[in-house]
Amino acid sequence: MIWEVFRQEQAGEYHTHCGNVHAPDREMALLFAQIQHARRKPTNSLWVVPQAEVSAVDADTDDVEFGGTTDKSYRWVSAYNVDVEFAEEIETSDREQRKAEGER
Amino acid sequence: MNVEEVTERAEPRAFSPHDDMPEEYRKAATRMIQFHANSEIMGAYLERPFIRQAPSLDRKLAFSAKVQDEIGHGQLLYRAAESLGIKTRAEMLDELATGEGKFLNCFHYPMTEWWETPMIAFFVDGAAMRRQATIKRTSWEPYAHAMDKICFEEGFHIKHGEDIMRTLATGSRREQQLLQEAFEEWWPRILQFFGPTDDRSTHHDFSERVGLKTMSNDELRQAFLNAYLPKAQKYGLEIPDEPRIRKEDGRYIVEEDDLDWEEFWEIASNEYAGSHEQIDSRAATQEAVAWVRNAIDRSEQP
Repeated sequence: MIWEVFRQEQAGEYHTHCGNVHAPDREMALLFAQIQHARRKPTNSLWVVPQAEVSAVDADTDDVEFGGTTDKSYRWVSAYNVDVEFAEEIETSDREQRKAEGER
Repeated sequence: MNVEEVTERAEPRAFSPHDDMPEEYRKAATRMIQFHANSEIMGAYLERPFIRQAPSLDRKLAFSAKVQDEIGHGQLLYRAAESLGIKTRAEMLDELATGEGKFLNCFHYPMTEWWETPMIAFFVDGAAMRRQATIKRTSWEPYAHAMDKICFEEGFHIKHGEDIMRTLATGSRREQQLLQEAFEEWWPRILQFFGPTDDRSTHHDFSERVGLKTMSNDELRQAFLNAYLPKAQKYGLEIPDEPRIRKEDGRYIVEEDDLDWEEFWEIASNEYAGSHEQIDSRAATQEAVAWVRNAIDRSEQP
């Protein structure tokens, strides 16, 4: 049985997928996950999830356009030409959105 | 863990559902997050009519995207609240429908005109964003995680709100006048957004001690005024004479007695005329789409 492994580096951070392990049961999966994925990489916590329990939708194989295909610039900060420097939290959001938009 | 241990270990994102948290913490966090979630939902309902009423297609699309975001924020927050094990999402949504659930003061007032929209979409959202940015450092990790996504999205809301305000402020004389009138009506409510001054705030001490809150009402209002008063002035809005605000040693002092606290407390207990209006209209909408929820529930798979 295959178990997907999610690792959290430090307390308070997100668990992100880092690979999978082959194991007969949950207990062994946790053990293998520790050995394979947490022996060197900094780790605070691990999750294991039976692979069959993971559902996925995939841009390539399912022919899905995440976020749609029409112009949705109206939902991004970059569409609004007003200054953001007056408040730190707006600047942060502006920076994060521009980065995400650029990476799409 | 007992409350002393929690106080000692309290720091940003310190506690998660794996920790054995005392009931006092779980109840305080539930109250805070449920209030926040309810406010997202009620704010969305207040702005929903403007998807239709907005004057251009661009504005309609933006309002539609925004309302969609706010409902999503509500759902994220109910999940964060649910993870404390005190109430389920269904219970919290029911409480909102029966008038038991509490939410932000500004969302108890009807908003009917287009030129009022920047009051929520710029000032109230801006105030909320100021507060939410500090909650990224809350001690309940699921709450902090919800804040990461909410703050990421919220920048668009406030810039969009400012864009509307700029259009009105640089529009016709009549538009400028209507914007000023809306500002005068909403300004005292916006000042009350952060709640009563610290000495009258009932829940603050415990919440700060266990790291749920990181800034007091006064500090937040101060930071808000520093950023948003100059903004209002930049767009030619005149700050009303009352409530009186003066600046001393770089700090804004709001004359608390100029604000209507009787109305504020009436709102806080959902007893204001507007409270009934907003709660009932949402409850009616909920009921009208019950068939959708039922259809989904029937087809739900384990």
